[in-house]
Amino acid sequence: MLRKMRISGILLIFGLVIEALSLLWNTAVSFMSFAVIGGLCFASGILLFLYSLVSSNISGLNE
Amino acid sequence: MINPQTLVFVLIGASILLILLVVIRPSITASREGKIIAFLALVIVPVVAAGVGASEHMERSEQTQFCLSCHIMEPYGKSLYVDDPSYVPAAHFQNQRVPAEKACYTCHTDYAMFGTIHAKLNGLHHVYVYWFGRPMHPIHLYRPYNNRECLHCHAGARSFEDSPTHAAMMSDLKSNKLSCTTSGCHDTFHPVDKLDQAKFWKRTE
Repeated sequence: MLRKMRISGILLIFGLVIEALSLLWNTAVSFMSFAVIGGLCFASGILLFLYSLVSSNISGLNE
Repeated sequence: MINPQTLVFVLIGASILLILLVVIRPSITASREGKIIAFLALVIVPVVAAGVGASEHMERSEQTQFCLSCHIMEPYGKSLYVDDPSYVPAAHFQNQRVPAEKACYTCHTDYAMFGTIHAKLNGLHHVYVYWFGRPMHPIHLYRPYNNRECLHCHAGARSFEDSPTHAAMMSDLKSNKLSCTTSGCHDTFHPVDKLDQAKFWKRTE
Protein backbone atom coordinates (compact mmCIF):
# COMPACT_ATOMS: atom_id res chain seq x y z
CA MET A 1 0.00 0.00 0.00
CA LEU A 2 2.79 2.43 0.95
CA ARG A 3 4.52 1.93 -2.41
CA LYS A 4 1.30 2.63 -4.32
CA MET A 5 0.70 5.69 -2.14
CA ARG A 6 4.18 7.01 -2.94
CA ILE A 7 3.70 6.50 -6.67
CA SER A 8 0.29 8.16 -6.44
CA GLY A 9 1.85 11.13 -4.61
CA ILE A 10 4.61 11.47 -7.22
CA LEU A 11 2.03 11.38 -10.06
CA LEU A 12 -0.02 14.05 -8.31
CA ILE A 13 3.03 16.27 -7.74
CA PHE A 14 3.90 15.88 -11.43
CA GLY A 15 0.32 16.85 -12.37
CA LEU A 16 0.43 19.89 -10.07
CA VAL A 17 3.78 21.04 -11.47
CA ILE A 18 2.37 20.75 -15.00
CA GLU A 19 -0.68 22.75 -13.91
CA ALA A 20 1.55 25.48 -12.42
CA LEU A 21 3.73 25.60 -15.57
CA SER A 22 0.71 25.66 -17.87
CA LEU A 23 -0.64 28.72 -16.06
CA LEU A 24 2.47 30.72 -16.93
CA TRP A 25 1.30 31.00 -20.55
CA ASN A 26 -2.06 31.68 -22.14
CA THR A 27 -1.88 29.56 -25.27
CA ALA A 28 -3.65 26.53 -26.68
CA VAL A 29 -0.47 24.46 -26.07
CA SER A 30 -0.47 25.27 -22.35
CA PHE A 31 -4.17 24.46 -22.11
CA MET A 32 -3.67 21.14 -23.89
CA SER A 33 -0.70 20.20 -21.66
CA PHE A 34 -2.81 20.96 -18.60
CA ALA A 35 -5.83 19.05 -19.90
CA VAL A 36 -4.05 16.03 -21.35
CA ILE A 37 -0.78 15.46 -19.43
CA GLY A 38 -1.88 17.14 -16.19
CA GLY A 39 -5.31 15.51 -16.35
CA LEU A 40 -3.80 12.06 -16.88
CA CYS A 41 -1.40 12.51 -13.95
CA PHE A 42 -4.21 13.73 -11.66
CA ALA A 43 -6.59 10.96 -12.65
CA SER A 44 -4.03 8.17 -12.42
CA GLY A 45 -2.61 9.50 -9.12
CA ILE A 46 -6.01 9.73 -7.43
CA LEU A 47 -7.25 6.43 -8.83
CA LEU A 48 -4.06 4.65 -7.76
CA PHE A 49 -4.43 6.00 -4.22
CA LEU A 50 -8.09 4.97 -4.05
CA TYR A 51 -7.17 1.54 -5.45
CA SER A 52 -4.43 1.19 -2.82
CA LEU A 53 -7.04 1.87 -0.10
CA VAL A 54 -9.47 -0.69 -1.51
CA SER A 55 -6.85 -3.36 -2.18
CA SER A 56 -5.34 -3.00 1.33
CA ASN A 57 -8.83 -3.36 2.88
CA ILE A 58 -9.52 -6.48 0.82
CA SER A 59 -6.19 -8.07 1.75
CA GLY A 60 -6.88 -7.15 5.40
CA LEU A 61 -10.26 -8.85 5.24
CA ASN A 62 -8.77 -11.96 3.60
CA GLU A 63 -6.16 -12.25 6.35
CA MET B 1 -8.77 40.91 -3.36
CA ILE B 2 -6.64 37.88 -4.10
CA ASN B 3 -5.97 37.31 -7.79
CA PRO B 4 -7.26 33.91 -9.03
CA GLN B 5 -3.87 32.94 -10.45
CA THR B 6 -2.21 33.59 -7.08
CA LEU B 7 -4.89 31.48 -5.42
CA VAL B 8 -4.15 28.59 -7.80
CA PHE B 9 -0.41 28.84 -7.11
CA VAL B 10 -1.02 28.92 -3.33
CA LEU B 11 -3.27 25.84 -3.63
CA ILE B 12 -0.71 24.03 -5.78
CA GLY B 13 2.07 24.86 -3.29
CA ALA B 14 -0.02 23.72 -0.30
CA SER B 15 -1.01 20.58 -2.14
CA ILE B 16 2.60 19.69 -3.04
CA LEU B 17 3.73 20.23 0.58
CA LEU B 18 0.97 17.97 1.90
CA ILE B 19 1.72 15.27 -0.67
CA LEU B 20 5.45 15.45 0.12
CA LEU B 21 4.65 14.94 3.81
CA VAL B 22 2.75 11.74 3.00
CA VAL B 23 5.33 10.53 0.44
CA ILE B 24 8.36 11.18 2.67
CA ARG B 25 6.76 9.95 5.91
CA PRO B 26 4.16 7.36 4.91
CA SER B 27 4.29 5.97 8.47
CA ILE B 28 1.96 8.80 9.55
CA THR B 29 -0.88 6.95 7.82
CA ALA B 30 -0.78 4.32 10.59
CA SER B 31 -2.88 6.61 12.78
CA ARG B 32 -6.46 7.70 12.10
CA GLU B 33 -5.39 11.37 11.79
CA GLY B 34 -2.61 10.36 9.40
CA LYS B 35 -5.13 8.57 7.19
CA ILE B 36 -7.28 11.69 7.09
CA ILE B 37 -4.21 13.79 6.16
CA ALA B 38 -3.31 11.28 3.41
CA PHE B 39 -6.86 11.41 2.01
CA LEU B 40 -6.80 15.20 2.07
CA ALA B 41 -3.33 15.33 0.50
CA LEU B 42 -3.90 12.73 -2.19
CA VAL B 43 -7.55 13.35 -3.11
CA ILE B 44 -9.32 16.43 -1.78
CA VAL B 45 -6.65 19.15 -2.11
CA PRO B 46 -5.41 18.04 -5.58
CA VAL B 47 -9.02 17.85 -6.85
CA VAL B 48 -9.68 21.38 -5.59
CA ALA B 49 -6.36 22.64 -7.05
CA ALA B 50 -7.11 20.99 -10.41
CA GLY B 51 -10.66 22.36 -10.40
CA VAL B 52 -9.55 25.93 -9.67
CA GLY B 53 -6.78 25.55 -12.30
CA ALA B 54 -9.29 24.27 -14.88
CA SER B 55 -11.61 27.17 -14.14
CA GLU B 56 -8.73 29.64 -14.56
CA HIS B 57 -7.78 28.02 -17.88
CA MET B 58 -11.40 28.22 -19.04
CA GLU B 59 -11.54 31.90 -18.11
CA ARG B 60 -8.29 32.58 -20.00
CA SER B 61 -9.49 30.69 -23.06
CA GLU B 62 -11.93 33.56 -23.69
CA GLN B 63 -9.07 35.95 -24.30
CA THR B 64 -8.08 37.18 -27.76
CA GLN B 65 -4.46 36.24 -26.99
CA PHE B 66 -5.53 32.61 -26.48
CA CYS B 67 -7.43 32.41 -29.80
CA LEU B 68 -4.54 33.97 -31.69
CA SER B 69 -2.00 31.55 -30.20
CA CYS B 70 -2.79 29.11 -33.05
CA HIS B 71 -0.99 30.02 -36.32
CA ILE B 72 -4.15 29.53 -38.33
CA MET B 73 -5.82 32.40 -36.43
CA GLU B 74 -3.02 34.95 -36.88
CA PRO B 75 -4.45 36.57 -40.05
CA TYR B 76 -7.81 36.90 -38.31
CA GLY B 77 -6.09 38.73 -35.47
CA LYS B 78 -4.32 41.01 -37.97
CA SER B 79 -7.61 41.71 -39.73
CA LEU B 80 -8.86 43.42 -36.57
CA TYR B 81 -6.35 46.20 -37.26
CA VAL B 82 -7.40 46.87 -40.88
CA ASP B 83 -7.95 50.60 -41.25
CA ASP B 84 -11.33 50.40 -42.97
CA PRO B 85 -14.57 50.89 -41.01
CA SER B 86 -16.57 48.85 -43.52
CA TYR B 87 -15.06 45.68 -42.01
CA VAL B 88 -17.41 44.79 -39.17
CA PRO B 89 -14.92 43.03 -36.82
CA ALA B 90 -12.21 45.70 -37.30
CA ALA B 91 -14.69 48.52 -36.64
CA HIS B 92 -15.98 46.77 -33.50
CA PHE B 93 -12.48 46.04 -32.19
CA GLN B 94 -10.96 49.46 -32.91
CA ASN B 95 -13.92 51.40 -31.49
CA GLN B 96 -14.13 49.19 -28.39
CA ARG B 97 -17.65 48.06 -29.20
CA VAL B 98 -16.30 44.73 -27.95
CA PRO B 99 -13.69 44.39 -25.18
CA ALA B 100 -10.32 44.21 -26.96
CA GLU B 101 -9.05 41.44 -24.66
CA LYS B 102 -12.08 39.24 -25.43
CA ALA B 103 -12.76 40.34 -29.01
CA CYS B 104 -13.07 36.87 -30.61
CA TYR B 105 -15.15 35.37 -27.82
CA THR B 106 -17.57 38.31 -27.58
CA CYS B 107 -18.75 37.90 -31.17
CA HIS B 108 -18.23 34.16 -31.60
CA THR B 109 -20.09 32.82 -28.60
CA ASP B 110 -23.75 31.84 -28.50
CA TYR B 111 -25.88 34.16 -26.37
CA ALA B 112 -28.29 31.37 -25.57
CA MET B 113 -28.81 28.88 -22.77
CA PHE B 114 -25.64 26.74 -22.53
CA GLY B 115 -24.02 29.13 -25.06
CA THR B 116 -20.84 29.38 -23.00
CA ILE B 117 -20.59 25.59 -22.69
CA HIS B 118 -21.22 25.26 -26.41
CA ALA B 119 -18.50 27.82 -27.17
CA LYS B 120 -16.04 26.00 -24.87
CA LEU B 121 -16.80 22.65 -26.50
CA ASN B 122 -16.29 24.22 -29.92
CA GLY B 123 -13.00 25.65 -28.66
CA LEU B 124 -11.88 22.19 -27.50
CA HIS B 125 -12.84 20.82 -30.91
CA HIS B 126 -10.80 23.56 -32.63
CA VAL B 127 -7.75 22.78 -30.51
CA TYR B 128 -8.17 19.03 -31.21
CA VAL B 129 -8.48 19.58 -34.97
CA TYR B 130 -5.55 22.00 -35.00
CA TRP B 131 -3.26 19.50 -33.28
CA PHE B 132 -4.52 16.13 -34.39
CA GLY B 133 -6.70 16.67 -37.46
CA ARG B 134 -6.83 18.74 -40.62
CA PRO B 135 -8.06 22.30 -40.06
CA MET B 136 -10.39 23.53 -42.80
CA HIS B 137 -8.79 25.92 -45.26
CA PRO B 138 -10.00 28.62 -45.34
CA ILE B 139 -11.69 28.28 -41.98
CA HIS B 140 -15.38 29.11 -41.82
CA LEU B 141 -18.22 29.10 -39.31
CA TYR B 142 -19.99 25.80 -38.60
CA ARG B 143 -23.35 27.40 -39.32
CA PRO B 144 -24.58 30.81 -40.54
CA TYR B 145 -23.99 33.67 -38.11
CA ASN B 146 -27.04 34.12 -35.91
CA ASN B 147 -28.51 37.65 -35.51
CA ARG B 148 -28.95 36.84 -31.81
CA GLU B 149 -25.22 37.45 -31.32
CA CYS B 150 -25.46 40.96 -32.88
CA LEU B 151 -28.72 41.80 -31.11
CA HIS B 152 -27.28 40.82 -27.75
CA CYS B 153 -25.62 44.27 -27.77
CA HIS B 154 -27.42 46.22 -30.49
CA ALA B 155 -31.04 45.52 -29.57
CA GLY B 156 -32.33 48.46 -27.61
CA ALA B 157 -29.51 50.75 -28.73
CA ARG B 158 -30.85 54.06 -30.04
CA SER B 159 -28.60 54.10 -33.13
CA PHE B 160 -29.89 50.65 -34.06
CA GLU B 161 -33.58 50.95 -33.16
CA ASP B 162 -34.04 54.46 -34.62
CA SER B 163 -32.41 53.64 -37.94
CA PRO B 164 -35.20 53.62 -40.62
CA THR B 165 -33.45 50.75 -42.46
CA HIS B 166 -33.42 48.58 -39.34
CA ALA B 167 -36.93 49.64 -38.26
CA ALA B 168 -38.37 48.49 -41.60
CA MET B 169 -37.10 44.95 -41.11
CA MET B 170 -36.93 44.73 -37.32
CA SER B 171 -39.22 41.71 -36.90
CA ASP B 172 -37.30 39.73 -39.52
CA LEU B 173 -34.01 40.67 -37.91
CA LYS B 174 -35.21 39.69 -34.44
CA SER B 175 -36.63 36.39 -35.66
CA ASN B 176 -33.39 35.69 -37.60
CA LYS B 177 -35.37 35.37 -40.86
CA LEU B 178 -33.18 38.05 -42.41
CA SER B 179 -29.51 37.89 -41.53
CA CYS B 180 -27.61 41.01 -40.48
CA THR B 181 -24.82 39.65 -42.68
CA THR B 182 -27.03 39.64 -45.79
CA SER B 183 -25.21 40.80 -48.88
CA GLY B 184 -25.36 44.57 -49.10
CA CYS B 185 -25.81 45.03 -45.35
CA HIS B 186 -23.03 44.07 -42.93
CA ASP B 187 -21.31 41.54 -45.17
CA THR B 188 -17.61 42.36 -44.85
CA PHE B 189 -15.72 40.53 -42.12
CA HIS B 190 -12.14 39.35 -41.82
CA PRO B 191 -10.33 40.24 -45.08
CA VAL B 192 -7.65 37.56 -44.57
CA ASP B 193 -7.02 37.10 -48.29
CA LYS B 194 -6.46 40.84 -48.83
CA LEU B 195 -4.21 41.59 -45.87
CA ASP B 196 -1.17 42.23 -48.09
CA GLN B 197 -3.01 45.16 -49.72
CA ALA B 198 -4.63 46.48 -46.55
CA LYS B 199 -3.71 49.59 -44.61
CA PHE B 200 -3.47 49.00 -40.87
CA TRP B 201 -4.51 51.08 -37.91
CA LYS B 202 -1.91 51.66 -35.20
CA ARG B 203 -3.09 52.14 -31.66
CA THR B 204 -1.69 55.39 -30.20
CA GLU B 205 -0.13 54.79 -26.80
